Amino acid sequence: MQTSKTLTGPPPLESGWLSRVVSSYAVRTLLQALLTIWAVVTFTFFLIRLMPGNPIDVYVGFLMNQSNLTYGEALQQAASQFSFDPNASVFQQYLGYLGDLVRGDLGTSITSTGTQVVDQIARFLPWTLFCVGLGLLISFVLGMTIGMLIAYYRNSVLDTAVSFFASVLGAVPDYIWGLLILVVFGVQLGWFNIGELRGTYDPGLTPGFTPAFIWSVVRHAFLPVLVYVIGTLGSWILNMRSSTTSVLGEDYVNVARARGLTPGRIATTYVGRNAALPLFTLLAVNIGLVIGGSVIIEELFVYKGIGSFLFFSISQRDYTSMQGVFLVIAVSVVVANILADLLYSSLDPRVRIEGER
Amino acid sequence: MSTPILEFRRVSRSFGEGRAAVPVLRNVDLSVNELEFLCLVGESGCGKTTTGKILSGLLPPTGGRVLFEGQDVSTLKGEAYGRYRRAVQIVHQDPYASLNPTQSIFDILRYPLLRHGFAKNHKQAHTRASELLELVGLTPTADVIGKYPHQLSGGQRQRVSIARALTTQPKVIVADEAVSMVDVSIRISILKTLMKMRETLGLTIVFITHDLALAKYFAWEGRIAVMYLGRVVEVGATRDVTGRPQHPYTKTLLSAIPEPDPDRTRRKEQLSLRSEDVPSLTELPAGCTFHPRCPFFEPGRCDREEPELEAVPRAESDARVACLPLTEDGTLRPYGG
Amino acid sequence: MRQFFRALARSKAGLLGFIGLIFYALLVGVGPMFVPFDNEVKTDQVNAPLGSRLKLVTRAADAARYPSLASLEGQVVGYVSSSGGETLVEPLEDTFDDTEDYRRGAGVEDGLEELTDGDIDGFVLFSESLKTYPIGPGSDFPDLTVSNARLAPPHLLGTDTQGRDILSHIVNGGRTLIVTALLAGLISTTIAVIFGAVAALVGGPVDRTLSALANFILVLPKFPLLIVLAALFTLDNILLLATLIGLLVWPALMRAVRAQVLSLRERDYVEAARALDLGRRHIIIREILPNMMSFVVVNLILAVTAAMYDQIGLIFLGMAPINDYSWGVMLYFGRTRGALFSPDSASMVLAPVVAIALFQVSMVMFARALEELSDPRLRTA
Repeated sequence: MQTSKTLTGPPPLESGWLSRVVSSYAVRTLLQALLTIWAVVTFTFFLIRLMPGNPIDVYVGFLMNQSNLTYGEALQQAASQFSFDPNASVFQQYLGYLGDLVRGDLGTSITSTGTQVVDQIARFLPWTLFCVGLGLLISFVLGMTIGMLIAYYRNSVLDTAVSFFASVLGAVPDYIWGLLILVVFGVQLGWFNIGELRGTYDPGLTPGFTPAFIWSVVRHAFLPVLVYVIGTLGSWILNMRSSTTSVLGEDYVNVARARGLTPGRIATTYVGRNAALPLFTLLAVNIGLVIGGSVIIEELFVYKGIGSFLFFSISQRDYTSMQGVFLVIAVSVVVANILADLLYSSLDPRVRIEGER
Repeated sequence: MSTPILEFRRVSRSFGEGRAAVPVLRNVDLSVNELEFLCLVGESGCGKTTTGKILSGLLPPTGGRVLFEGQDVSTLKGEAYGRYRRAVQIVHQDPYASLNPTQSIFDILRYPLLRHGFAKNHKQAHTRASELLELVGLTPTADVIGKYPHQLSGGQRQRVSIARALTTQPKVIVADEAVSMVDVSIRISILKTLMKMRETLGLTIVFITHDLALAKYFAWEGRIAVMYLGRVVEVGATRDVTGRPQHPYTKTLLSAIPEPDPDRTRRKEQLSLRSEDVPSLTELPAGCTFHPRCPFFEPGRCDREEPELEAVPRAESDARVACLPLTEDGTLRPYGG
Repeated sequence: MRQFFRALARSKAGLLGFIGLIFYALLVGVGPMFVPFDNEVKTDQVNAPLGSRLKLVTRAADAARYPSLASLEGQVVGYVSSSGGETLVEPLEDTFDDTEDYRRGAGVEDGLEELTDGDIDGFVLFSESLKTYPIGPGSDFPDLTVSNARLAPPHLLGTDTQGRDILSHIVNGGRTLIVTALLAGLISTTIAVIFGAVAALVGGPVDRTLSALANFILVLPKFPLLIVLAALFTLDNILLLATLIGLLVWPALMRAVRAQVLSLRERDYVEAARALDLGRRHIIIREILPNMMSFVVVNLILAVTAAMYDQIGLIFLGMAPINDYSWGVMLYFGRTRGALFSPDSASMVLAPVVAIALFQVSMVMFARALEELSDPRLRTA
């Protein structure tokens, strides 16, 4: 199935250093990645600006409510505060944005005047990456272990029960699990104080490697991480189970048994390694999905990560901030895909990427 | 001699494009005569399956011409093409993959019967399908006709496959390794069915196999074409090719077949290849592609020019072979000897 | 068909899923005819707990004398405020000597004590309260007994922050969600099957274009994009919402369909059909499609669950229309009206949570069973 990788490459160009550079795996991947990111940026740029209302309208409404200004006054005040010119054509804005982007400048936030979008992202993204990363890591490892275990004992009571359980885990949306945990364990049983767990750490603490701060971060991240684990664990278990089942039927596993290798060694070097391969591609797809889905989870737990920041930016029509977050998500998906490919090819000698021969 | 029913003229086929192209067949000349039993023999990867697919029009050649009853099939259009299409049918190797699992045996036979007017209605199709099943030895037909492929054994499925090929009243059946995946005990009986078809229905059979012994047994009255790396290296009457093999490759193949009598097997002239490795199709050796393995390799001669199929002077065999020392001198000299 | 049911009965999870789906079909199909939507704000019945029934408690000795509220004429009657008691007590207020109201929670204990002491003669309260403060022999209130089992129609699932019956919202709040999800699933599956089949069968530049489009959409952050799209279009009709979701979720299935068709069209039986000159139409309709049917149906079901996820997520964040009081809207109000964090209003959140969760589980179980059924190794006999 993976041989198609080498067949789908573009036809070789005329010989010479240029063709060798272009057809080399690294350069081609990079070009493809840049192209994809550019496409996402362009698509979201125009889509975002098609949304009804612009940041000034939203802010004008806010000012008129807050300080009893007339529309004219409010508009004047809003326009003076925002680095956004509603009269510039969308295409001019687009070219300007691309120009800045090439220089690594994501622009300044429209609604939080004076704040660089890069700074905002740097402030919110790490929390989401921390939670999503940790959650996926835990569920990936746990899911692979459990999936492999039940594949070894397939059709036993254990397998039936765990498979059923895994299906249930995967079927129910993660935010529904979140609500359930919140209502049952938080509110009804009172196991934890939800009010205190809002935000990413307790207010008043200074970030740093102090035990108090780390403990606070862990406590605040616990529920989101738990939900990410629950939301993805089921599919890892079921995927690993079917993957392991098919590997167990392979001849080389039987041969390894016949050679008298210890079951432990067969399980790790023969079965585990080969069964885990297809799951890495899924992991890359999952990272994008989970970051995208973090909007709901972070809103639910009032966790100040990139998801809730994105939601806030959308409701404020903060074009540049939204654009920045979309860019970050697209980049992380593209990078995750490349990493998965690299990992795949380093684990599976059959997939030697073109250009290495 | 009358026009061959099917003929290859310098037929080539490669897969892929440009530098990555893999030449699977190169300039193959081959004729299939009406009512004959022709065996295509060769190792896996020699191009015999591709030959079968091009013969039956399932794959276009990338070079050369295929003639059906003397006419180039690429020029056939409309009804003339349809006639060729229906006249050549194929029986596949794997009986588990060649029948659609979602169709009943009756469906499988009914569609071609109705489409090509061999049955006017459902009832006629049923009668005709039953006849075909009886012909291929699937009796009682009523037990089989309503079943689905997964309810049949491998041998039964292969018989259904033959019955399906017969629905269009073909002239030629290309049987591609048709019995290699069936139990040994059933092989002979299926092959006998095929032989009987040939006589009663007047069929021409192209039998593709890697098993020279099987070819020798069944094509005794017919001809054998031996293929090696995309070319035919020896073609002739079965008794000639298997009894007095000329081409070094045929010789080594035959010397590898054990005889029923162990003493004869031991006394047999043992010819060993100089190399066990089959060259890659993408890096074919120059000249005769068999020369790196040939026990009769003549440096400076065999690695220059690619030999064509020709008769061997002064030989007892009528077979034509592609081997320069043989066709030019009529003799072979052991390598290094 | 009979084979299908027999096989379904063998797979227990599949049977559960199937029964679950029938239950939901009945719930949203005919349920609303029996349980009309309760939109009447009842300030005295706010946040009634699950399974709550109003009960009349009296001293055990008086139980025979006071079988109903009306029989308490001339006596003092107590009730718990904001839990439905008022509705029952107020119309009879003039016939009683006096009425007393008690606060919810701790007030119940006061009421029970005063009833024991003879300060009041009858006490109307939620059956739920009796679990916290048991009465009868051996308890803290040995002299009390329940005199009347049921005073008013029960709220099986309790009431929301406005005193409306949650059961009626559950019965009426599923139809649009399920119809929208089905539509979205159908749209995305149709696109996926058509694009996947065309890409595989036509190949060349068409294949490259469609595959590139699919890969591009796969990189887009789907859910955030939906939020933007939801703001862009006023999502006031379900077809639009279903189309938007459908347009964003087809690529994964399209790639799978493409791979399937590519592999199926190389099958020997397809080659045999070509040899038999059965025609392109026959090959696609009779040879390739039937072998993909179960795969497509399974994925259709999974697409419906995915659409459910997106749709309810949007509603939960307040980005999709709220003119229909669906399970998602219940969650939205649960969040925005603070029900999420109030111990009294758990059922307002839990009821839709369970309704959504069970629907998704039924769908997935059914899909898994279908997947197993379509495995030819399991299909023998």
